[in-house]
Amino acid sequence: MPASSRDLRLDFFRGLALIFIFVDHIPENVLSYFTIQAIQLFDAAEVFIFISGYTAALVYGQTLLAQGSLYATARVLARAWQLYIAHIFLFVMFIAEVSYTVTTFNNPMYNDEMRVGDFLDEPHVAIVKALLLQFQPTFLDILPLYILLLAIFPAVLLGLRWRPLIVLIPSFLVYLVVQDTNLSVPAYPEGHVWYFNPLAWQFLFIAGAALGFPGRHSEQWSRWSRPLLPLAAFAVAVSFVIKLSWTLHGIWDPLPGVLLKELWPVNKNNLSAIRLIPFFAAVAVAAAVVRADAVILRSRVAKPLVLCGQQSLEIFCLGILLSALGHFVLSEYDSAIGIQILVNLAGILVMCLTARMLDWYKTMGRMQVPRSTPAQFGRGNRIDT
Amino acid sequence: MRWCFSPGRLVHPALLAASLVMAEIAPSSSIFAGRLPCDVPEELMQVDDKMPHLAERLSAGQPVKIVAIGGASTTGLAAGSSDLAYPHRLQEILTRWYPSSSVAVVNRGVPRQTARQMLERFPTDVIPEDPVLVIWETGTTDAVRGVGVDDFAAVLQAGIDELKTHGTDVMLVDMQFSHSTTAVIDFEQYLNALHRVGDVNDVNVFPRFEMMRYWSEQNVFNFDGVAKDERASLAARVYECIAGKLAETIRLALR
Repeated sequence: MPASSRDLRLDFFRGLALIFIFVDHIPENVLSYFTIQAIQLFDAAEVFIFISGYTAALVYGQTLLAQGSLYATARVLARAWQLYIAHIFLFVMFIAEVSYTVTTFNNPMYNDEMRVGDFLDEPHVAIVKALLLQFQPTFLDILPLYILLLAIFPAVLLGLRWRPLIVLIPSFLVYLVVQDTNLSVPAYPEGHVWYFNPLAWQFLFIAGAALGFPGRHSEQWSRWSRPLLPLAAFAVAVSFVIKLSWTLHGIWDPLPGVLLKELWPVNKNNLSAIRLIPFFAAVAVAAAVVRADAVILRSRVAKPLVLCGQQSLEIFCLGILLSALGHFVLSEYDSAIGIQILVNLAGILVMCLTARMLDWYKTMGRMQVPRSTPAQFGRGNRIDT
Repeated sequence: MRWCFSPGRLVHPALLAASLVMAEIAPSSSIFAGRLPCDVPEELMQVDDKMPHLAERLSAGQPVKIVAIGGASTTGLAAGSSDLAYPHRLQEILTRWYPSSSVAVVNRGVPRQTARQMLERFPTDVIPEDPVLVIWETGTTDAVRGVGVDDFAAVLQAGIDELKTHGTDVMLVDMQFSHSTTAVIDFEQYLNALHRVGDVNDVNVFPRFEMMRYWSEQNVFNFDGVAKDERASLAARVYECIAGKLAETIRLALR
């Protein structure tokens, strides 16, 4: 697939989601008032998972159609393995940070409660549970979801090739069952569940995949969604008014939060319909407003975001590490608003520069072996799933 | 009720003058000393919601029982004795302020419990006491263990609902602050959830986290680099300040 025909919207919006995830993960961060979660009932996690499903189907769907199911399966599983390694790496970094802080900090006022140390108490269990994706400390909860979704993805791909509804209907039914029964997946320690309930979130990923699978569906999708566009715009507007009022209510109490008592808390673990419906509406609106050939996507301003979106795994992991570091700097040294903004900007700059460097590195790598890679897939591979 | 921005952070420059004065004063042993060392900015003492049941008992001069349910900082272990924990201190202060009612504050702290585990203790530890006010200190263990924040909020809601059906006034108390712990644990979303639950239910939330942050920033107390032999006395002084502020909050809610 030639670069010019690739849908840069995927890269752009995923890049934006990665920046938002970084910003939102720094606690008490003034910039988090300017991310999507401040003005919509959903947040960057939905964007990330949906686009990841879409691009996974796009890239591996092409592999499936051109090189057969066995090779497509192998590629998907290789990617899942790569994500798993990344997850374990982040976990080790997390352990290092927490162990260090906990063992150097000794104050009886906190000791009894602050033993983050469930895993310092029994490391042999905790590490095995981490390897099994059952131990998911803060920030380390989205990659396990992604890994699990990729592990089942070969079957999803085959289903999508045959009849999309064969995949979509069961996926949606499982989602509905979760909404009704609160069914969840157990985690460690005892009594915990997966933060991103895979039984619910799979629907978002698979819906993205159904739309992204190469071939017939994209035309149908735009024909379908056009008449629904005013309704979608209305849903986005309602979600905007509600969430903005909550955000402002949080800053200044006398401003009332619209429907706050009725709707809050909106369940994120199970991807409540109150999040999902505005998200799908926002996808329809964004797809209609920002065309695939929009000039802005090729502009210099959008370039860094597009690059971040293309190198999503590395930039995601980097973002998680940087938000932990940013949090550390702000809580340890100074958290004046100026410093907060500086920490955010520095993090975003590092993310963008890293994406630029990775893009250069991978492009150079491809140029050295032009004959071994068929040209059309050489470019297609560049889209990170 | 604030649950997003830390006021200490927003109004920092405005408070500088006051804090300079305060920093001069060493924390004394009694909160009844002329100038209170554990003063906090006015915004942290904003009390929006009433405590009608408690008010009724006190004005009638009837006996009052308060249950304090919470974690390690409720038990007071760090100070060395439950007599130095905030519930006992609170009882002393309220007894002085409302001499015509006999005031009892029952300590139901158990270290390292999540909000859900505390909720499960309600039928045995809280309801049988027939309290007129329940002070529920929670959130730390949930944040440490990374319990789903929606779950946390739902548990708080269930607890408040249960207490309200028993005609009990409720006050929530949020987490303790220290630089070192906030560096490893993301308290913010749990603080937000806790304050929002209070907001939605018209229940007062005692902003312990912001108060302690304020004391830490103003060098009233240093929670991080404490010599070993001073730790228990530090804890005792902090619990005493917390009790004083709780008592003031209750008095404001009775107005």
